[in-house]
Amino acid sequence: MSGAFVARGQVAIVGYAHSQVERHAARPLGLVTLDTARAAIADAGLAVDQIDGFVCSTLFPTAGDHAVQDGVSTVTSGWLAERLGVDPAYVAGFQGFGQIPGIVAMATNAIASGAADYVLVHRALHNPTGKYHGSALRAASGAMQWTAPQGFFGPMAMIGLTYNEYLQRYSASREAMAAVVVEARKNGARIPWSYWHGKPLTADEYLAAPMVSDPIGRLDCDLPVDGAAVFIFTSAERARDLPHQPVLVSGYASSMPTRRRLPLHWPLDDLMESGTALAQRLWRSAGVGPSDIDLPQLYDGFSPFVYLWLEALGLCPVGEAHRFVQDGGIDGDRPGALPVLSGGGALGNGRMHGIPQMLECYLQLSGRAGHRQRSDVSVGLACHSSPHLGGAVVYRSGER
Amino acid sequence: MNGERLLPVPDETSAAFWSAASDHVLTVARCSACNAATMPPDLVCPACRTSEPDFQFVPVSPRAAVCSWTITRQALLPGFEVPFMLVDAQLIDAPEVRLIGRLLDGVDAPIELGAMLDVVFEDLTDGISVPAFALAAVS
Repeated sequence: MSGAFVARGQVAIVGYAHSQVERHAARPLGLVTLDTARAAIADAGLAVDQIDGFVCSTLFPTAGDHAVQDGVSTVTSGWLAERLGVDPAYVAGFQGFGQIPGIVAMATNAIASGAADYVLVHRALHNPTGKYHGSALRAASGAMQWTAPQGFFGPMAMIGLTYNEYLQRYSASREAMAAVVVEARKNGARIPWSYWHGKPLTADEYLAAPMVSDPIGRLDCDLPVDGAAVFIFTSAERARDLPHQPVLVSGYASSMPTRRRLPLHWPLDDLMESGTALAQRLWRSAGVGPSDIDLPQLYDGFSPFVYLWLEALGLCPVGEAHRFVQDGGIDGDRPGALPVLSGGGALGNGRMHGIPQMLECYLQLSGRAGHRQRSDVSVGLACHSSPHLGGAVVYRSGER
Repeated sequence: MNGERLLPVPDETSAAFWSAASDHVLTVARCSACNAATMPPDLVCPACRTSEPDFQFVPVSPRAAVCSWTITRQALLPGFEVPFMLVDAQLIDAPEVRLIGRLLDGVDAPIELGAMLDVVFEDLTDGISVPAFALAAVS
Protein backbone atom coordinates (compact mmCIF):
# COMPACT_ATOMS: atom_id res chain seq x y z
CA MET A 1 0.00 0.00 0.00
CA SER A 2 1.47 3.34 -1.03
CA GLY A 3 -0.68 5.31 1.38
CA ALA A 4 -1.43 7.87 -1.36
CA PHE A 5 -5.06 9.01 -1.32
CA VAL A 6 -6.52 7.88 -4.65
CA ALA A 7 -9.31 10.47 -4.47
CA ARG A 8 -6.76 13.28 -3.92
CA GLY A 9 -8.15 16.53 -5.28
CA GLN A 10 -11.44 14.96 -6.36
CA VAL A 11 -13.61 16.18 -3.48
CA ALA A 12 -14.31 19.84 -2.73
CA ILE A 13 -15.75 22.09 -0.07
CA VAL A 14 -18.13 24.43 -1.85
CA GLY A 15 -19.84 26.44 0.86
CA TYR A 16 -20.12 27.07 4.59
CA ALA A 17 -21.92 28.92 7.33
CA HIS A 18 -20.98 29.64 10.94
CA SER A 19 -23.25 30.79 13.75
CA GLN A 20 -22.34 33.45 16.25
CA VAL A 21 -20.24 31.92 19.02
CA GLU A 22 -21.91 32.71 22.32
CA ARG A 23 -21.43 31.76 25.95
CA HIS A 24 -25.08 30.66 26.05
CA ALA A 25 -27.20 31.01 22.92
CA ALA A 26 -30.70 32.42 23.36
CA ARG A 27 -32.15 29.55 21.31
CA PRO A 28 -31.65 25.78 21.58
CA LEU A 29 -28.55 24.47 19.82
CA GLY A 30 -30.66 22.48 17.35
CA LEU A 31 -32.30 25.63 16.02
CA VAL A 32 -28.98 27.44 15.78
CA THR A 33 -27.64 24.49 13.81
CA LEU A 34 -30.71 24.30 11.57
CA ASP A 35 -30.40 27.98 10.61
CA THR A 36 -26.67 27.53 10.01
CA ALA A 37 -27.31 24.49 7.82
CA ARG A 38 -29.84 26.35 5.66
CA ALA A 39 -27.39 29.25 5.31
CA ALA A 40 -24.56 26.91 4.27
CA ILE A 41 -26.70 25.15 1.65
CA ALA A 42 -27.68 28.53 0.20
CA ASP A 43 -24.06 29.71 0.35
CA ALA A 44 -23.08 26.72 -1.81
CA GLY A 45 -25.71 27.67 -4.37
CA LEU A 46 -27.79 24.59 -3.64
CA ALA A 47 -31.33 23.76 -2.58
CA VAL A 48 -32.10 21.77 0.56
CA ASP A 49 -33.47 18.83 -1.44
CA GLN A 50 -30.13 18.41 -3.23
CA ILE A 51 -28.38 17.42 0.02
CA ASP A 52 -28.25 13.62 0.06
CA GLY A 53 -25.55 12.99 2.66
CA PHE A 54 -25.04 14.00 6.31
CA VAL A 55 -21.93 13.52 8.44
CA CYS A 56 -21.13 14.83 11.93
CA SER A 57 -19.63 14.01 15.29
CA THR A 58 -21.58 14.48 18.48
CA LEU A 59 -19.05 14.24 21.32
CA PHE A 60 -20.07 16.39 24.28
CA PRO A 61 -16.64 16.95 25.81
CA THR A 62 -17.43 17.37 29.49
CA ALA A 63 -16.44 15.39 32.54
CA GLY A 64 -19.35 16.91 34.43
CA ASP A 65 -22.79 15.58 35.26
CA HIS A 66 -24.70 16.76 32.19
CA ALA A 67 -27.43 14.96 30.28
CA VAL A 68 -26.95 14.49 26.53
CA GLN A 69 -30.09 15.54 24.67
CA ASP A 70 -30.29 15.58 20.87
CA GLY A 71 -31.19 19.03 19.60
CA VAL A 72 -30.25 20.68 22.90
CA SER A 73 -26.79 19.65 24.12
CA THR A 74 -25.78 17.99 20.87
CA VAL A 75 -27.14 17.75 17.33
CA THR A 76 -26.92 14.52 15.35
CA SER A 77 -27.04 14.22 11.58
CA GLY A 78 -30.33 12.37 11.86
CA TRP A 79 -31.90 15.14 13.95
CA LEU A 80 -30.77 17.76 11.46
CA ALA A 81 -31.83 15.85 8.31
CA GLU A 82 -35.27 15.22 9.77
CA ARG A 83 -35.80 18.93 10.62
CA LEU A 84 -34.56 19.98 7.17
CA GLY A 85 -37.10 17.59 5.69
CA VAL A 86 -34.52 15.56 3.81
CA ASP A 87 -34.49 11.77 3.32
CA PRO A 88 -30.74 11.29 2.79
CA ALA A 89 -29.03 8.39 1.03
CA TYR A 90 -26.04 8.52 3.37
CA VAL A 91 -25.83 9.33 7.11
CA ALA A 92 -22.70 8.69 9.16
CA GLY A 93 -21.15 9.76 12.44
CA PHE A 94 -17.55 9.79 13.62
CA GLN A 95 -16.82 8.21 16.99
CA GLY A 96 -13.17 9.12 17.67
CA PHE A 97 -11.53 12.20 19.18
CA GLY A 98 -10.05 13.83 16.08
CA GLN A 99 -13.58 14.68 15.10
CA ILE A 100 -13.24 17.37 12.50
CA PRO A 101 -10.63 15.52 10.40
CA GLY A 102 -12.66 12.37 11.05
CA ILE A 103 -15.90 13.79 9.64
CA VAL A 104 -14.06 15.42 6.73
CA ALA A 105 -12.60 12.01 5.85
CA MET A 106 -16.03 10.34 6.00
CA ALA A 107 -17.66 13.03 3.86
CA THR A 108 -14.79 12.91 1.38
CA ASN A 109 -15.04 9.15 1.08
CA ALA A 110 -18.79 9.33 0.61
CA ILE A 111 -18.42 11.79 -2.27
CA ALA A 112 -15.50 9.95 -3.85
CA SER A 113 -17.33 6.63 -3.73
CA GLY A 114 -20.58 8.03 -5.09
CA ALA A 115 -22.46 7.20 -1.90
CA ALA A 116 -23.74 10.78 -1.97
CA ASP A 117 -23.44 13.80 -4.28
CA TYR A 118 -23.78 16.66 -1.79
CA VAL A 119 -22.78 16.01 1.82
CA LEU A 120 -23.56 18.36 4.69
CA VAL A 121 -20.89 18.25 7.41
CA HIS A 122 -21.67 19.90 10.70
CA ARG A 123 -20.42 20.32 14.23
CA ALA A 124 -22.51 21.86 17.00
CA LEU A 125 -21.09 22.50 20.46
CA HIS A 126 -22.91 23.34 23.65
CA ASN A 127 -22.05 25.02 26.91
CA PRO A 128 -24.39 23.64 29.59
CA THR A 129 -25.44 25.75 32.53
CA GLY A 130 -23.69 24.90 35.79
CA LYS A 131 -20.11 23.80 36.29
CA TYR A 132 -18.74 22.42 33.00
CA HIS A 133 -16.52 19.67 34.42
CA GLY A 134 -17.78 19.52 38.02
CA SER A 135 -19.11 16.24 39.35
CA ALA A 136 -20.93 15.12 42.45
CA LEU A 137 -19.78 11.53 41.89
CA ARG A 138 -19.79 9.48 45.10
CA ALA A 139 -18.52 6.23 43.63
CA ALA A 140 -16.10 5.49 40.80
CA SER A 141 -16.77 2.30 38.91
CA GLY A 142 -15.30 0.92 35.71
CA ALA A 143 -12.27 2.65 34.28
CA MET A 144 -12.68 5.66 36.55
CA GLN A 145 -11.92 3.61 39.68
CA TRP A 146 -8.23 3.76 38.71
CA THR A 147 -8.01 7.56 38.71
CA ALA A 148 -10.88 9.54 40.28
CA PRO A 149 -10.61 8.19 43.87
CA GLN A 150 -6.92 9.16 43.67
CA GLY A 151 -7.88 12.76 42.78
CA PHE A 152 -7.06 12.56 39.06
CA PHE A 153 -10.14 13.81 37.25
CA GLY A 154 -10.98 16.03 34.29
CA PRO A 155 -9.05 17.30 31.30
CA MET A 156 -7.17 20.14 33.02
CA ALA A 157 -5.18 17.75 35.23
CA MET A 158 -4.73 15.52 32.18
CA ILE A 159 -3.09 18.23 30.10
CA GLY A 160 -1.36 19.73 33.15
CA LEU A 161 0.71 16.56 33.51
CA THR A 162 1.59 16.46 29.80
CA TYR A 163 2.46 20.15 29.70
CA ASN A 164 4.62 20.03 32.81
CA GLU A 165 6.47 17.03 31.39
CA TYR A 166 7.26 19.19 28.35
CA LEU A 167 8.32 22.20 30.42
CA GLN A 168 10.57 20.13 32.67
CA ARG A 169 12.15 18.08 29.90
CA TYR A 170 12.98 21.05 27.67
CA SER A 171 13.55 23.66 30.40
CA ALA A 172 10.76 25.74 28.94
CA SER A 173 8.96 28.52 30.81
CA ARG A 174 5.25 29.22 31.16
CA GLU A 175 5.99 32.73 29.88
CA ALA A 176 6.80 31.41 26.40
CA MET A 177 3.20 30.25 25.95
CA ALA A 178 2.00 33.86 26.04
CA ALA A 179 3.07 34.08 22.39
CA VAL A 180 0.57 31.31 21.53
CA VAL A 181 -2.42 32.58 23.49
CA VAL A 182 -1.90 36.23 22.53
CA GLU A 183 -1.63 35.21 18.85
CA ALA A 184 -4.87 33.21 19.04
CA ARG A 185 -6.74 36.06 20.70
CA LYS A 186 -5.25 38.66 18.33
CA ASN A 187 -6.65 36.75 15.36
CA GLY A 188 -9.89 35.79 17.06
CA ALA A 189 -10.50 39.46 17.83
CA ARG A 190 -10.64 40.09 14.07
CA ILE A 191 -13.35 37.48 13.42
CA PRO A 192 -16.92 38.79 13.57
CA TRP A 193 -18.59 35.59 14.85
CA SER A 194 -15.92 34.86 17.49
CA TYR A 195 -16.82 35.04 21.17
CA TRP A 196 -13.59 37.03 21.53
CA HIS A 197 -14.35 39.45 18.66
CA GLY A 198 -12.78 42.80 19.45
CA LYS A 199 -11.18 41.40 22.61
CA PRO A 200 -7.45 40.81 22.11
CA LEU A 201 -5.25 39.82 25.05
CA THR A 202 -1.87 41.01 26.30
CA ALA A 203 0.91 38.76 27.54
CA ASP A 204 0.61 40.35 30.99
CA GLU A 205 -3.12 39.56 31.11
CA TYR A 206 -2.38 35.99 30.08
CA LEU A 207 0.22 35.55 32.80
CA ALA A 208 -1.97 37.18 35.45
CA ALA A 209 -4.92 34.83 34.88
CA PRO A 210 -5.52 32.29 37.66
CA MET A 211 -3.97 28.84 37.52
CA VAL A 212 -6.31 25.85 37.29
CA SER A 213 -3.92 22.90 37.11
CA ASP A 214 -0.35 24.22 37.16
CA PRO A 215 1.23 24.88 34.74
CA ILE A 216 -2.17 25.18 33.00
CA GLY A 217 -3.87 28.49 33.68
CA ARG A 218 -7.41 29.53 32.87
CA LEU A 219 -6.37 31.17 29.60
CA ASP A 220 -4.55 28.04 28.40
CA CYS A 221 -8.02 26.47 28.06
CA ASP A 222 -10.59 27.36 25.43
CA LEU A 223 -13.92 28.66 26.64
CA PRO A 224 -17.02 26.43 26.42
CA VAL A 225 -19.58 28.01 24.10
CA ASP A 226 -22.71 27.45 22.06
CA GLY A 227 -22.02 27.45 18.36
CA ALA A 228 -22.50 25.58 15.09
CA ALA A 229 -20.60 25.33 11.83
CA VAL A 230 -21.67 23.68 8.58
CA PHE A 231 -19.74 22.85 5.40
CA ILE A 232 -21.01 21.48 2.08
CA PHE A 233 -18.95 18.88 0.20
CA THR A 234 -19.31 17.68 -3.37
CA SER A 235 -17.11 16.45 -6.20
CA ALA A 236 -14.50 18.74 -7.73
CA GLU A 237 -16.31 18.22 -11.03
CA ARG A 238 -19.71 19.37 -9.75
CA ALA A 239 -18.00 22.21 -7.87
CA ARG A 240 -17.17 23.92 -11.17
CA ASP A 241 -20.86 24.77 -11.59
CA LEU A 242 -21.20 26.31 -8.13
CA PRO A 243 -20.64 29.94 -7.09
CA HIS A 244 -17.45 29.79 -5.02
CA GLN A 245 -13.87 28.77 -5.71
CA PRO A 246 -13.65 25.18 -4.40
CA VAL A 247 -11.17 23.97 -1.80
CA LEU A 248 -10.00 20.42 -2.48
CA VAL A 249 -9.17 17.65 -0.01
CA SER A 250 -5.60 16.45 -0.74
CA GLY A 251 -5.43 13.79 1.94
CA TYR A 252 -5.95 13.03 5.61
CA ALA A 253 -4.67 10.94 8.49
CA SER A 254 -5.64 10.08 12.03
CA SER A 255 -3.95 8.48 15.01
CA MET A 256 -4.57 6.25 18.00
CA PRO A 257 -2.63 5.75 21.22
CA THR A 258 -0.11 2.94 21.02
CA ARG A 259 0.12 2.17 24.74
CA ARG A 260 -2.45 1.30 27.33
CA ARG A 261 -2.50 3.89 30.09
CA LEU A 262 -4.72 4.99 32.93
CA PRO A 263 -7.80 6.87 31.69
CA LEU A 264 -6.85 10.43 30.61
CA HIS A 265 -3.14 9.75 31.12
CA TRP A 266 -1.28 11.35 28.23
CA PRO A 267 2.49 10.91 28.62
CA LEU A 268 4.47 13.22 26.34
CA ASP A 269 6.28 10.37 24.60
CA ASP A 270 2.98 8.65 23.76
CA LEU A 271 1.66 11.83 22.16
CA MET A 272 4.78 12.44 20.12
CA GLU A 273 5.21 8.83 18.99
CA SER A 274 1.67 8.59 17.60
CA GLY A 275 1.73 12.15 16.33
CA THR A 276 4.93 11.59 14.37
CA ALA A 277 3.42 8.47 12.78
CA LEU A 278 0.27 10.44 11.94
CA ALA A 279 2.36 13.07 10.19
CA GLN A 280 4.10 10.47 8.05
CA ARG A 281 0.73 8.98 7.02
CA LEU A 282 -0.58 12.46 6.27
CA TRP A 283 2.33 13.37 3.96
CA ARG A 284 1.96 10.06 2.09
CA SER A 285 -1.79 10.54 1.78
CA ALA A 286 -1.63 14.15 0.57
CA GLY A 287 1.57 13.93 -1.48
CA VAL A 288 3.13 16.93 0.26
CA GLY A 289 5.58 17.53 3.10
CA PRO A 290 5.75 20.01 5.96
CA SER A 291 7.62 22.62 3.90
CA ASP A 292 4.77 22.68 1.34
CA ILE A 293 2.16 23.87 3.86
CA ASP A 294 1.44 27.60 3.57
CA LEU A 295 -1.27 27.62 6.21
CA PRO A 296 -0.75 25.03 8.98
CA GLN A 297 -3.75 25.60 11.25
CA LEU A 298 -2.88 23.90 14.54
CA TYR A 299 -5.33 22.76 17.18
CA ASP A 300 -5.23 24.72 20.41
CA GLY A 301 -8.10 23.60 22.65
CA PHE A 302 -5.38 23.58 25.31
CA SER A 303 -2.46 25.85 24.43
CA PRO A 304 0.26 23.12 24.75
CA PHE A 305 -1.25 21.32 21.76
CA VAL A 306 0.29 24.03 19.56
CA TYR A 307 3.79 23.03 20.71
CA LEU A 308 3.05 19.34 20.25
CA TRP A 309 1.58 19.72 16.74
CA LEU A 310 4.41 22.04 15.66
CA GLU A 311 6.88 19.35 16.65
CA ALA A 312 4.92 16.25 15.58
CA LEU A 313 4.31 17.70 12.11
CA GLY A 314 7.98 18.59 11.74
CA LEU A 315 7.29 22.33 11.52
CA CYS A 316 9.99 22.91 14.13
CA PRO A 317 12.51 20.62 15.87
CA VAL A 318 11.36 18.52 18.83
CA GLY A 319 11.81 20.44 22.08
CA GLU A 320 12.13 23.77 20.27
CA ALA A 321 8.52 24.91 19.90
CA HIS A 322 8.65 27.07 23.02
CA ARG A 323 11.60 28.99 21.57
CA PHE A 324 10.05 29.04 18.08
CA VAL A 325 6.92 30.81 19.28
CA GLN A 326 8.86 33.25 21.47
CA ASP A 327 10.98 34.22 18.48
CA GLY A 328 7.88 35.27 16.52
CA GLY A 329 7.70 32.00 14.57
CA ILE A 330 3.88 31.87 14.62
CA ASP A 331 3.10 35.59 14.32
CA GLY A 332 0.72 35.60 11.38
CA ASP A 333 1.34 39.31 10.76
CA ARG A 334 5.09 38.79 10.33
CA PRO A 335 6.36 37.95 6.82
CA GLY A 336 7.96 34.52 6.73
CA ALA A 337 6.35 33.28 9.95
CA LEU A 338 4.00 30.27 10.09
CA PRO A 339 0.40 31.48 10.47
CA VAL A 340 -0.64 28.53 12.67
CA LEU A 341 -3.42 30.42 14.48
CA SER A 342 -4.49 32.91 11.82
CA GLY A 343 -8.07 31.67 12.15
CA GLY A 344 -7.99 32.37 15.88
CA GLY A 345 -8.13 28.71 16.84
CA ALA A 346 -10.22 27.50 19.74
CA LEU A 347 -8.50 29.91 22.16
CA GLY A 348 -9.50 32.85 19.94
CA ASN A 349 -13.04 31.74 18.99
CA GLY A 350 -14.38 29.55 21.78
CA ARG A 351 -14.63 25.76 22.15
CA MET A 352 -15.60 24.95 18.56
CA HIS A 353 -13.16 21.99 18.51
CA GLY A 354 -11.29 21.83 15.18
CA ILE A 355 -13.76 24.04 13.30
CA PRO A 356 -11.70 27.27 13.41
CA GLN A 357 -8.73 25.43 11.87
CA MET A 358 -10.84 23.90 9.08
CA LEU A 359 -12.74 27.12 8.44
CA GLU A 360 -9.57 29.18 8.16
CA CYS A 361 -8.24 26.74 5.55
CA TYR A 362 -11.52 27.00 3.64
CA LEU A 363 -11.78 30.80 3.80
CA GLN A 364 -8.15 31.49 2.87
CA LEU A 365 -7.86 28.84 0.15
CA SER A 366 -11.16 29.86 -1.48
CA GLY A 367 -10.24 33.55 -1.37
CA ARG A 368 -13.19 34.31 0.90
CA ALA A 369 -11.39 35.64 3.98
CA GLY A 370 -12.34 39.26 3.22
CA HIS A 371 -10.12 41.85 4.88
CA ARG A 372 -8.16 39.01 6.48
CA GLN A 373 -7.34 37.43 3.08
CA ARG A 374 -3.72 36.31 2.77
CA SER A 375 -2.09 36.56 -0.63
CA ASP A 376 0.41 33.74 -0.37
CA VAL A 377 -1.57 30.61 0.45
CA SER A 378 -2.60 27.64 -1.67
CA VAL A 379 -1.95 24.60 0.58
CA GLY A 380 -3.44 24.39 4.07
CA LEU A 381 -3.49 21.91 6.93
CA ALA A 382 -6.10 21.67 9.68
CA CYS A 383 -5.64 19.41 12.66
CA HIS A 384 -7.71 18.61 15.71
CA SER A 385 -7.33 17.12 19.17
CA SER A 386 -4.11 15.63 20.54
CA PRO A 387 -1.46 14.30 18.14
CA HIS A 388 -1.94 10.79 19.59
CA LEU A 389 -5.69 10.48 19.11
CA GLY A 390 -6.48 13.22 16.66
CA GLY A 391 -6.29 13.81 12.98
CA ALA A 392 -5.27 16.22 10.25
CA VAL A 393 -6.39 17.13 6.73
CA VAL A 394 -4.45 18.77 3.91
CA TYR A 395 -6.42 21.13 1.65
CA ARG A 396 -5.51 22.81 -1.62
CA SER A 397 -7.07 25.69 -3.54
CA GLY A 398 -9.12 24.35 -6.44
CA GLU A 399 -9.73 25.91 -9.83
CA ARG A 400 -12.97 27.16 -11.26
CA MET B 1 -15.44 21.56 48.49
CA ASN B 2 -17.03 19.66 51.34
CA GLY B 3 -18.34 16.15 51.34
CA GLU B 4 -16.76 12.76 51.50
CA ARG B 5 -14.22 11.41 49.05
CA LEU B 6 -15.65 9.26 46.28
CA LEU B 7 -14.86 5.58 46.64
CA PRO B 8 -13.71 3.07 44.07
CA VAL B 9 -16.19 0.31 43.27
CA PRO B 10 -14.24 -2.96 43.07
CA ASP B 11 -15.41 -5.36 40.37
CA GLU B 12 -14.30 -8.73 39.07
CA THR B 13 -11.36 -7.13 37.24
CA SER B 14 -10.14 -5.14 40.24
CA ALA B 15 -11.24 -6.76 43.50
CA ALA B 16 -7.80 -8.27 44.17
CA PHE B 17 -6.14 -4.88 43.69
CA TRP B 18 -8.43 -3.13 46.19
CA SER B 19 -8.17 -6.04 48.60
CA ALA B 20 -4.36 -5.78 48.61
CA ALA B 21 -4.60 -1.98 48.80
CA SER B 22 -6.66 -2.24 51.97
CA ASP B 23 -3.62 -4.02 53.44
CA HIS B 24 -1.41 -1.21 52.06
CA VAL B 25 0.17 -3.52 49.49
CA LEU B 26 0.65 -2.22 45.94
CA THR B 27 -0.03 -4.73 43.19
CA VAL B 28 0.04 -4.58 39.41
CA ALA B 29 -1.91 -6.73 36.97
CA ARG B 30 0.33 -9.27 35.24
CA CYS B 31 -0.67 -11.31 32.20
CA SER B 32 -0.73 -15.04 32.94
CA ALA B 33 0.59 -15.78 29.45
CA CYS B 34 3.51 -13.33 29.14
CA ASN B 35 3.89 -11.82 32.63
CA ALA B 36 3.81 -8.25 31.29
CA ALA B 37 2.40 -5.70 33.73
CA THR B 38 -0.59 -3.58 32.66
CA MET B 39 -2.55 -0.96 34.56
CA PRO B 40 -5.41 -0.99 34.39
CA PRO B 41 -5.90 -4.55 33.13
CA ASP B 42 -7.80 -4.96 29.87
CA LEU B 43 -9.76 -7.70 28.13
CA VAL B 44 -6.69 -8.30 25.96
CA CYS B 45 -3.04 -8.23 27.05
CA PRO B 46 -1.52 -5.21 25.29
CA ALA B 47 1.92 -6.88 25.31
CA CYS B 48 1.23 -10.36 23.87
CA ARG B 49 -2.34 -9.73 22.61
CA THR B 50 -3.76 -12.89 24.13
CA SER B 51 -7.52 -12.77 24.58
CA GLU B 52 -7.17 -14.86 27.73
CA PRO B 53 -4.71 -12.84 29.81
CA ASP B 54 -6.21 -14.00 33.14
CA PHE B 55 -4.57 -10.99 34.82
CA GLN B 56 -3.31 -11.61 38.33
CA PHE B 57 -2.56 -8.81 40.78
CA VAL B 58 1.00 -9.36 41.95
CA PRO B 59 2.75 -7.32 44.68
CA VAL B 60 5.37 -4.93 43.37
CA SER B 61 7.85 -2.54 44.98
CA PRO B 62 6.14 0.74 45.86
CA ARG B 63 9.18 2.70 44.68
CA ALA B 64 8.49 5.00 41.73
CA ALA B 65 10.24 7.79 39.81
CA VAL B 66 8.61 11.14 39.00
CA CYS B 67 7.68 11.67 35.33
CA SER B 68 5.52 14.77 35.79
CA TRP B 69 3.28 16.62 38.22
CA THR B 70 0.49 19.20 38.30
CA ILE B 71 -1.17 21.23 41.04
CA THR B 72 -4.94 20.87 40.99
CA ARG B 73 -6.56 24.13 42.12
CA GLN B 74 -10.21 23.52 41.15
CA ALA B 75 -12.42 21.30 43.26
CA LEU B 76 -14.12 19.22 40.58
CA LEU B 77 -14.87 16.28 42.90
CA PRO B 78 -16.32 16.25 46.40
CA GLY B 79 -14.08 15.53 49.35
CA PHE B 80 -10.75 16.92 48.12
CA GLU B 81 -9.24 20.03 49.63
CA VAL B 82 -7.56 22.12 46.97
CA PRO B 83 -4.87 22.81 46.06
CA PHE B 84 -3.17 19.44 45.94
CA MET B 85 -0.35 18.01 43.89
CA LEU B 86 -0.88 15.12 41.49
CA VAL B 87 2.15 13.12 40.44
CA ASP B 88 2.69 10.88 37.41
CA ALA B 89 5.31 8.30 38.36
CA GLN B 90 6.85 5.20 36.82
CA LEU B 91 7.18 2.07 38.93
CA ILE B 92 10.83 1.12 39.29
CA ASP B 93 10.11 -2.63 39.30
CA ALA B 94 7.46 -2.45 36.55
CA PRO B 95 8.61 0.38 34.28
CA GLU B 96 5.81 -0.27 31.79
CA VAL B 97 3.41 1.02 34.44
CA ARG B 98 2.91 4.70 35.29
CA LEU B 99 0.49 5.60 38.07
CA ILE B 100 -1.08 8.93 39.00
CA GLY B 101 -1.92 9.96 42.53
CA ARG B 102 -1.68 12.71 45.11
CA LEU B 103 1.66 13.65 46.62
CA LEU B 104 0.87 13.73 50.33
CA ASP B 105 3.90 15.94 51.09
CA GLY B 106 1.90 18.95 49.87
CA VAL B 107 2.06 21.42 47.02
CA ASP B 108 5.32 23.01 48.18
CA ALA B 109 7.23 19.74 48.38
CA PRO B 110 10.56 19.74 46.50
CA ILE B 111 9.97 17.70 43.37
CA GLU B 112 11.85 17.18 40.13
CA LEU B 113 11.96 14.76 37.22
CA GLY B 114 13.25 11.38 38.37
CA ALA B 115 12.76 12.09 42.08
CA MET B 116 12.07 8.90 44.05
CA LEU B 117 8.65 8.35 45.58
CA ASP B 118 6.92 5.56 47.41
CA VAL B 119 3.33 4.53 46.88
CA VAL B 120 1.49 4.95 50.18
CA PHE B 121 -2.18 4.47 51.00
CA GLU B 122 -4.95 6.74 52.23
CA ASP B 123 -7.54 4.89 54.33
CA LEU B 124 -10.94 6.19 53.21
CA THR B 125 -13.18 3.64 54.94
CA ASP B 126 -12.71 0.42 56.85
CA GLY B 127 -12.27 -1.62 53.71
CA ILE B 128 -11.06 0.91 51.14
CA SER B 129 -7.60 2.40 50.89
CA VAL B 130 -6.50 4.42 47.88
CA PRO B 131 -2.91 4.70 46.62
CA ALA B 132 -1.08 8.02 46.77
CA PHE B 133 2.58 9.02 46.81
CA ALA B 134 5.11 10.29 49.33
CA LEU B 135 8.65 11.50 48.72
CA ALA B 136 11.03 8.62 49.43
CA ALA B 137 13.64 9.02 52.14
CA VAL B 138 16.88 9.69 50.26
CA SER B 139 18.92 6.51 50.13
